Amino acid sequence: MREITKRFPGVVANDGVDFEAAGGEVHALLGENGAGKTTLSHILTGLYHADEGQIFLSGEPVAFQSPRDAIDAGVCMVHQHFRLVERFTVAENLVLGDRRGAGRRFRIDPRAVESQVRELGRRYHLPVDPHARIWQLSVGEQQRVEILNALYQDARVLILDEPTAVLTPEESETLFTTLREIAAEGRTVIFISHKLHEVKAVSDRVTVLRAGKVIATVRTTDATPQSLASLMIGHDVEATQRTARDLGGEGAVLEVRDVWADGDRGAPAVKGISLAVRAGEIVAVAGVAGNGQRELAETIAGVRPSTKGAIRVDGRLLKRGDVRAAFDAGIRYVPEDRLGTGVSPSLSLAMNLELRSYRESSLGPFLRLRRMRANAEKAIEEFDIRAPGPDVQAANLSGGNLQKVVIAREFSGEMKVLIAASPTRGLDVSAVATVHSYLLQAAGRGTAVLLLSEDLDEILALNDRIVVMYEGELSEVVDRESIEEIGLRMAGETPGSSDSA
Amino acid sequence: MRISVEQRLRRPRWLTVAVPFGSVVFAFLVAAVVLVATGHDPVSTYHQLFDAAFLEKQSIDQTLIVATPLAFMGLAAAAAFRMKLYNIGAEGQMYLGAITGAAAGLYLGGRGGPSAFVIAAMVVAGAAGGAGWALIPGVLRAFFRTNEILTSLLLNYVAGLILTYLIFESESYWRQTKGFNATVFPTGKPLPHSAVWPGWTLHVQGGTTIPLGAFFALLAAAVLWLLYKRTRFGFEAQVLGDSQRAARYAGVRMRRKILAVMAVSGAIAGLGGASQVGDFSHALDGDPNGLQKIGYGYTGIVVAALGRYNPFAAVLIAFLLGGLENAGNTLQGPSFPAGLVGVIQGIILFSALGGEILSRHRVRITRKSTHVTAAPARAPEPAA
Amino acid sequence: MNDSLLVVLIASGVAYGTPLLFAALGELLAERSGVLNLGVEGMMLVGAVMGFWTVERVHANTGLTLALAIVIAAVAGTVMATIHAFLVITLRANQIVSGLALTIFAGAVGLSSYLGNNLKLADVPAAHSFHTLLPKGMQNLPVVGPILFGQNILVYASWLCVIAVGLYLSRTRPGLNVRAVGESPAAADTMGINVTAYRYAHTLAGGAFAGIAGATITLAITPQWVDGITYGAGWIAIALVIFAFWRPELCLVGAYFFGALQALAPQLQARNISLGPTVLWSNSLPYVMTVLVLVVVSSGTARRRLGAPAALGVAYVREEH
Repeated sequence: MREITKRFPGVVANDGVDFEAAGGEVHALLGENGAGKTTLSHILTGLYHADEGQIFLSGEPVAFQSPRDAIDAGVCMVHQHFRLVERFTVAENLVLGDRRGAGRRFRIDPRAVESQVRELGRRYHLPVDPHARIWQLSVGEQQRVEILNALYQDARVLILDEPTAVLTPEESETLFTTLREIAAEGRTVIFISHKLHEVKAVSDRVTVLRAGKVIATVRTTDATPQSLASLMIGHDVEATQRTARDLGGEGAVLEVRDVWADGDRGAPAVKGISLAVRAGEIVAVAGVAGNGQRELAETIAGVRPSTKGAIRVDGRLLKRGDVRAAFDAGIRYVPEDRLGTGVSPSLSLAMNLELRSYRESSLGPFLRLRRMRANAEKAIEEFDIRAPGPDVQAANLSGGNLQKVVIAREFSGEMKVLIAASPTRGLDVSAVATVHSYLLQAAGRGTAVLLLSEDLDEILALNDRIVVMYEGELSEVVDRESIEEIGLRMAGETPGSSDSA
Repeated sequence: MRISVEQRLRRPRWLTVAVPFGSVVFAFLVAAVVLVATGHDPVSTYHQLFDAAFLEKQSIDQTLIVATPLAFMGLAAAAAFRMKLYNIGAEGQMYLGAITGAAAGLYLGGRGGPSAFVIAAMVVAGAAGGAGWALIPGVLRAFFRTNEILTSLLLNYVAGLILTYLIFESESYWRQTKGFNATVFPTGKPLPHSAVWPGWTLHVQGGTTIPLGAFFALLAAAVLWLLYKRTRFGFEAQVLGDSQRAARYAGVRMRRKILAVMAVSGAIAGLGGASQVGDFSHALDGDPNGLQKIGYGYTGIVVAALGRYNPFAAVLIAFLLGGLENAGNTLQGPSFPAGLVGVIQGIILFSALGGEILSRHRVRITRKSTHVTAAPARAPEPAA
Repeated sequence: MNDSLLVVLIASGVAYGTPLLFAALGELLAERSGVLNLGVEGMMLVGAVMGFWTVERVHANTGLTLALAIVIAAVAGTVMATIHAFLVITLRANQIVSGLALTIFAGAVGLSSYLGNNLKLADVPAAHSFHTLLPKGMQNLPVVGPILFGQNILVYASWLCVIAVGLYLSRTRPGLNVRAVGESPAAADTMGINVTAYRYAHTLAGGAFAGIAGATITLAITPQWVDGITYGAGWIAIALVIFAFWRPELCLVGAYFFGALQALAPQLQARNISLGPTVLWSNSLPYVMTVLVLVVVSSGTARRRLGAPAALGVAYVREEH
């Protein structure tokens, strides 16, 4: 890829990027969130059109008008958010993209595909049941389907976008092995990540992107995590660290006792969870996405009604599924779905700041519009929200600023319990640091903080205690420094037992 | 050369008015083509239309007869659609409002001039009737998650059948049973004098009467506007229409909100029905070729959509479209094609829908080979 | 036995249900690709009037004229559907309002009325119409005679369509693709399927079916044209698709069920059976039943697994953000 430039309204995502990868290598594309890695890969796979620049495959210039062209040329991608049809079976999904060979016929026979799926699965250590429907599979298994899809298409170039975000440490290791095998066949593997240790573990070469530009391309063996980090960020950044605190024998502010809740499909997603968080304590909940973390957060915040069990704040029992009561009791919730849940997208910033408290701030049935604006302006000041004004539509704000709006709103009033679900997902480094500082501030002020995150680094940096969620149940981590123990628990195993799941 | 559509960051104010206006212009142009293709002269046809709508003697009177119920229907639709509750049942809710309003008028009315008490009773009864009918799809949506589009719409047909039944197929309270004509052709019982709604007469065009219902419509528009812009109710409704998950998160009581909005929408439609009886027909009109044929409820959706669900815009547009309908009715005959009005209305709505995209997005034409992008050329809003 | 209420009801149900079936099949195809088209009533009416017009104006033998009429009706429906498709797919307008606009535009006070009155099609009996196809001998067989063998060719054609659509969706590659487009257009796009093309194609096909459905009414059931002759059949057809869980074979069952309901009123009247305000009850029965069925279908948790295409009603834009 040469001189690739891509502009979006308000930002240059890729600026004169030169990137090349060879057959038989695993080439990592490293950069923080927002550096332009995903954009670049989307251009390579035909989803976006570059404003300037050219792409060459095996020396020949190519122009992709659509993803179809890219796939036909052998460029396949495993996305961060899977592009699979949930209601179809694995086999049907594979047939979907296939245009070559047996599947080309007008009539299809998924059964012929099934044997191929099994064969491929065996060869690459990616076992998956071809009959299973996608929504029945775990996130890790879904990723396997995506990779299988690419191999089924005989991809020459395989691109993976942040693949380990949904895997346990052990599964990540298996993935790396698979990737190296795939590369060894002569294919090219491009591995997009913002995690240094992964890049070190799996790649042959690394290209670092920052703010849309290529900073350097180096051989992995020549680089150290520190050198990569400074290339990636451009300056030294102090990672947030939690200093050990003595919390004494203070009682629990938030008490969750044997709580059960159903997921969206009707099956229980939260199974008998008991948990206590003390004032000023940060309890970090680790786990791979899809094990009930979202449902747990929603249940405690009152957005989702529990089916059994009790939730207490300062000893007082809360009514099931009553958001208002939870809020009034001092529970604040920063949801992982910023734009869809945390904020009402087409409403203004000022109105969103009142999203939870409009009942108190209104005069009878009437809203106090002027006061809302004034409050909004104050919040913009105080939380350094970069926005043209209080009337801007929420959807037009960047991820980091949106999160500041949510935090500004949730931190108001008496905040006894703070539930933060994946609060820094998709944010760039400085926004991450800001959010972390707010979390620490809250804890410092005596708030009980429950942090749910898929980012192990974040969990390790910010916790007083770590619990791991697996299939709706919690287990407490004994050795907080042991990634191995955490990883095992994330996969549903208890360290010390010899049987596997 | 490539055409790309990009999202705008801000929505320019002027487009908010330009799009509906341009849609109307475009619609008339397209309809002109249709007219020419079927052997009519568009210029004279439009001339006749405009005359019949606003200029001739008594024309504004006639226009108001159509515009008043249309305004109610438009407001009813706007009230619900704004919240993404697609209440297509305003038509049926109007019929129910007419039934209950007429009942109140017949029961409470007496001799003497128009009585404020009786009229107030009709208003309340009409609104209640419409609200009640609207609560059926409302309840089904809130508690059974049944799509309100189909349920409200199917109930329109049922409401129409009830209306016809009351006058044509039974000896109901509403039916005129006295007099010679009663057995020959069924009609509704005329309302007593105190139940007749007065109007305000202007000395324009040889005496134009603005019906009481028109004032009620304006009042309803103001109330609706206030409700949505300035109250907690409106705030919650906005959030609910914007993102259901955010509404849950904000603590909006979803079911209650759905019921409340449907009730408001139905009440306005029902009030329109009461106005039909009190202002115009002075009896319950159960004729399948009468009130039921006109389709105010569906046109109301056009009105609301054109006005982008703003209550005051809806009233204004109701007046204009009312003129169009009135003209269509007046001129109907061999030289003036029936159905033209619906055609024009449909095209107006199409162009408004198509124009919507221009206010949300910008069309850019770029040359792919060179590195220069053309200045943001917008495809002109489809007025030729 | 062939005169018993039950047999007559079922036989009439099949006849009356055929336009519902055609319209439902068409809407099913559109919705499977993710496009909600509420303009079915309008498209049916236009198909009805254009089919009738063909029969009145074309002077050829019966078979040819009727065939041509069906084709013209299908084309008319397709043209109507194109408006909706353009607005909704290319311009990404609100699918619900656009469908309603189509109904207003084409419907009983719109284009179909304009065409019908302008072309002087009212109060004229059809010059040609569809009659029963098979010999009288077969038609007189007990029970199956009237029900299966006493129908016109359109009914038999509709059976073929049900089979064809069913096979198309479940066994062919394009069928798999369109299902993907309706469930997850992003996934389909990534796999290289042209989402726009599929949505257009299936929405237009929906229009064609709706047009044929309309012609079925004016050329087979009541061989006559009247303004607004569908009386809400288009809406029932839309509800049918939901009721049938988006499966063609269930559309057939549902269509005949509602067809029978429509036949109930005149049959009861003909037999002087009075159930109180008969006219009111039996006339409103199809609509009320539709509502009830919708409620039952929507409130079950089965809905999630057997239900609507996930991306139904949502415009797709390849995200360049």
